Parts: sequence; C-alpha cells; structure tokens
Amino acid sequence: MVITFPHFGSTYIPIKILFDELGIEYIVPPLNSNDTLEIGTLYSPEEMCLPFKIMMGNYIQSIEEGADTIVLVGSNGPCRFGEYCELQKNILDNLGYHLDFIVLESPQVIGKEEFKSKVYKIVRHSSRSSTDRWRILGKSITVVRLMEQVENKVLLRNGYEVNKGEHKRILYQCKNELLKTGSIDKALSVLKYYNKRIEKTPVDLKKNPVKIALLGEIYTIIEPFSNFNIVDKLMDFGASVKKGLSVTWWLTDAFLRPLKLNSINIRKASMAYMPYYIGGHGRECVGEALLANKEKFDGAIQLFPMGCMPEIVAKVILQKISKDRDFPIMTLILDEMTGEAGYNTRIEAFFDLLERRQENVLFRC
Amino acid sequence: MYYRYHPFLKAFLKELDAKIIFSEKTNKRILDLGVKYCVDEACLPIKIFHGHVASIKNQCDLIIVPRIIKEKGGEFICPKFCGLPEMIINSIPHLPAITRKPISMDQKKSLDRWVIGLGKSITNNKEKIMKAYSKAIRVQESYNISINDKNYSFKIALAGHPYCVHDSFFNMNIIKKLNNMGVGVVTEEAVKKDSFENEINNLYKKPFWEFTRNSYGFCMNILKTHNANGIIYISSFGCGIDSVSIELIKNQVGDFPFLILKIDEHTGEAGVDTRIEAFINMLEERRDLLGNHISPFREHLYTHQDFI
Repeated sequence: MVITFPHFGSTYIPIKILFDELGIEYIVPPLNSNDTLEIGTLYSPEEMCLPFKIMMGNYIQSIEEGADTIVLVGSNGPCRFGEYCELQKNILDNLGYHLDFIVLESPQVIGKEEFKSKVYKIVRHSSRSSTDRWRILGKSITVVRLMEQVENKVLLRNGYEVNKGEHKRILYQCKNELLKTGSIDKALSVLKYYNKRIEKTPVDLKKNPVKIALLGEIYTIIEPFSNFNIVDKLMDFGASVKKGLSVTWWLTDAFLRPLKLNSINIRKASMAYMPYYIGGHGRECVGEALLANKEKFDGAIQLFPMGCMPEIVAKVILQKISKDRDFPIMTLILDEMTGEAGYNTRIEAFFDLLERRQENVLFRC
Repeated sequence: MYYRYHPFLKAFLKELDAKIIFSEKTNKRILDLGVKYCVDEACLPIKIFHGHVASIKNQCDLIIVPRIIKEKGGEFICPKFCGLPEMIINSIPHLPAITRKPISMDQKKSLDRWVIGLGKSITNNKEKIMKAYSKAIRVQESYNISINDKNYSFKIALAGHPYCVHDSFFNMNIIKKLNNMGVGVVTEEAVKKDSFENEINNLYKKPFWEFTRNSYGFCMNILKTHNANGIIYISSFGCGIDSVSIELIKNQVGDFPFLILKIDEHTGEAGVDTRIEAFINMLEERRDLLGNHISPFREHLYTHQDFI
C-alpha cells in the first residue's frame, strides 16, 4: 500500500514526517505546478472549483509515481468539498485507475467505529506499537502547530523588519530544513530553534506598516499555488499579513464542534452580520473580517475560487461591512484562467490605496 | 421553493387576515432589478429572487424570506439559501422588515417556531395562529405540482431544481414549448421518493444536498423504468450543486439521451430553442431507427433522385 494525499499549503511537510516516523510507504505528489493544474483541469468537470482541479492533478501525478491509496479529509457541510471524494473516485475509475480512497470524516457523522476502521486501514502497515502511534500523532500535530506559529510570526513581523527580506528568507530556510529532517524529534527542535531565531531578528517597532488580513476559502488561502503566492507578494511590498484560517484552526474547530466550543471569537464577531452557519467557511470569513477591523488592520483581501457558494454570500456581507465600517476589502476570485499580471496589478493597486489611507503618506499631486 | 410551498404560506396568512402581496410572475423587469442589486457571482435564481424582493419592497410591511436549511434530516440545501436573508438585507436598500429565522423542515419544533414567530408578528391571538397553522399544513399536503403528461407519444423527463423547472420565465417556457412539439413532460415530483433512496444508497458516499438526491434519484428512476424517452436537465450557470449532480448522472446515463441546458441572464432564447429542437429530432430518429445508429441522411439521398 502506497499512500498519497493532495497538497494543501505546506502541510505536506508534517505529513511526510509523520509517515516517515510511522514507517508507512507514501508518495508526496510533485509540488503544484502548471502541469498539475493542466492535468487536473483536463479530467475535471468544467464547473468544478479550483481546489478540485488541483487535487485531481496531484492524484494523477502521484499515481504515475506508483501510489495506490488516496487519503483525503471529508466534510459534511453544505459546501461542495464534501462531495469531492465521490466524484474524484468516479473520474479516476473511468480513467482506469482503481484506487482505494480513504476519506477521513468527523466521527460524529460516520460513526466512531467506521472512523476507527478507516484510521486502522492507514496505519496497519506501520511497524510501530499502538501507543507509539498515538505519541507520534500527537507530536506531529505539535509540528503543525509550531510550523504555523513560525509562519504567523514571520508574516506579522515582516512589516516591521529592519533588513528587507530577512523574515521571508528565514521562513524558507526553516521549511527546507524541516524537509531534510528524518525524525519528528529533530523536526521539533528545528522548529523551536527557528521560533527563537525569529524573535531575535531585528525589528523596528516605530514603523507603521500596512496590515492586511487574508480571508475567504481555506484552500485558496493556504495553498500558495492557487493564489499565486499572494503572501510572498504582500511580504515583498513590506506588509504585515494575517491569514484568517489555518490547518490548526481547522483541526481544533473540527474537534470542538460537537461541544460547541469552536471558534467562539469568530462566532461572536459575526453575530451582527451573519448569525447562522451557511456551510463552507462563509461565516468564518465574515467573522474574521470584523475581527481584523477591530484589531486595526488596514484592509482585507478575500480569496475564493470561482463559483464557491458560501463565499459568494460572504462577499455580499463583506461589501456591506466595508461600507459600514470604512474598511477596505478587496475580493479576488481565482480559477485556472486567472492571469497573473492582472492579478498583480490589482494587489498593487489595493496596496497603494491602503498606503495612501495612512495619514503619514503625503499626496504627491 | 415558492412553487413547492406557497399554498402553505398562502393558507396560513389568509387565516390570519393578513393582506398578501405576491410579487408578479418572473419577468424581464424583475430580472433586471435582480441583476442590478445582486452580486455578480451569484447564480440566476438568486438574482431573480433579489428582483422579486426589490419589486415589492415598497408595497408591504413584511417580506417573507424563508431561510430553509434542510427539508429532511441529514440533508441540506444550497448554502446560498442558508444565507439568503443576509444577502437580501445587505444588497437591497430601504427594505421593510423581513423574516430571518432559520427553518429546518426535518424538525417539527423548528418549523413550529418559525411559523409561530411569523404569526406573532401579525397578530397576538395564539389560538388563531395554531388554527391557521394546522389548516395550512392540510392545504400543503393536498397540493401537488407534479407534471406527468400522458397523451403524448414522446415523453421527456425534466430534471433540475424545482425553481428552474417550474419558473417559466427562467427556463423560457420549456414545458409549453415541449408540449407544442408534441412532447410530454414528467417532473421529479411525479416519482415516488422512496425509489430515490435506493438509488442513492448505491453511491460511494451519500450526497447531503436535497437537490442532488432528488435529481439523481429521479434520473436513475427514469433510466430504469424507461418512463421517458430522454432527460433534459435545466441548470443555472455557476451552480455548485449541479456541477456535482450532473457529473454523477452523466456517469450513469450511458447512451440514454441526456441534454443539459445551462441558463444564465445572457442566455438567448433562440439558442435554447435550437438545442431543444435538435434534441427532440434526435429522439425521433432514435425511435424510427429502433436503436440502430445509422445516420438518416442516406435515406433521403435517393428519395430525391427518383427521376433518374
């Protein structure tokens, strides 16, 4: 059994470490590229959203390298994501690839037993004992958490940095080193080292950088290929960036949902504009926008793939928020036809606008 | 959804002596209003809904915007429906009061709460509300919008969301057009729902959208019983649910005639006509040739050259 999984930002790093440690055979699909997208678009239904197409590309590329089992997380919300597995399985079957699909869904929906059996299916080839497995799983979640901590720190501190580009370079160094480590304990120590190193990087707190929050659909926020690496672009402009949603958030949200303790701050914030869940992360998007406004961010960018249903609803409300609170929000819609030049222009223009809104910038004309 | 549930609301409100204003049947003016107020990315039905609200906003005190979350346990309907009141409030200016409570039709409690809440905003007489409620349920139960024509030699199954199939402006009066061509129509409401469940259970993962379940179940039923000669699926451009359900159906149809009509506000009527006509022609040829797929072109080749 050779496991593969779709790319989702840099989550492939902790997953790789996890499987290494468990001794399970796996293939990391080649990093997303235009080839991936092209393959994915060729075999996907035309009206499907961008994440679906990129994932299809990931599968086929790793099947070509020998994978025979796909692990995917599922959802049962009214968003399309929950239907991915059915369609992708059909498409792959029609192409003549008969693979195992293991869809991990929240245990409430499919029942505890089924969840257990699915997890067992993944780990049965592991040579480790079951207590070891739990320990490793726990550690790999810590890796994810720390990795995000490092990234979030870098993104926020980026605007204040003294030596331009330093933070970004450290982030990439950190990721590279993580990929090279073979064991989970080493990975943890690497992350701890970088966590400290970032705090020692010189910053100038007197600066007043443009602060931008990224909102919207979780895949397009986290996967840099789908959003033309918007985070790097904003970092190059010298902005401080905050990503609304993250993998850690998603995990805690999924686990705490049965207890209704999930993302209380977001729910509270979105109360005035959207008191009910509408599926996907529409409500979170609205909540994050309001939070960003409260935290004195200069503006927000909403990202979603073309045709995303919950985000369309959110967009309407964001426009209203933008008007009510004098808070600039730009919406960028992504699909496989999006051109990079036009996209860059829009980001630059938005950035300029935010800069001009700050009082310390003089109008030149 | 108006097409499926309006008798309930009508009966309920009538019992409460409220004056009801229905928006006109969908027309060009309503569509224009909808396009004006709605976000660009939304689908045509949502735009039309905006248009309806905008067209009556100055004439009434309360607009009922139902927020239907689900009709049965474990099923949802489209996310845009769940956020419909928010979309309306935030994109149309100068609105009267509108209803915002969610309805989950699978739970009696939730429906009760919604209906009673609605009643209270009109009158304070609780007894009257309950009486009207039970009467409205009876009216709804006896109501049937299904279409199942019998006297035609051809029959076509019209699949798609109820508002796409039943709104004659949206689908450019397709039912009448088909009838004029001598083709009967059968809709998903004419098939018993129990048969849908069996079909859905055959899937790898159960879909959680009510629309997908209905359309998929209905099309599979038609494929099995051959109750119709072909299927026309009416869909709106950019519909996330249909992008899934159409794929699921396509996977199963094989060589059964299946036509997808994607409709948005730019769709021209002539183009739709041509496609329907071509589809019907194809069905006729299929019947005449009893299943052999030879092009009928050669037949006509020699009939014209009799004089040689």
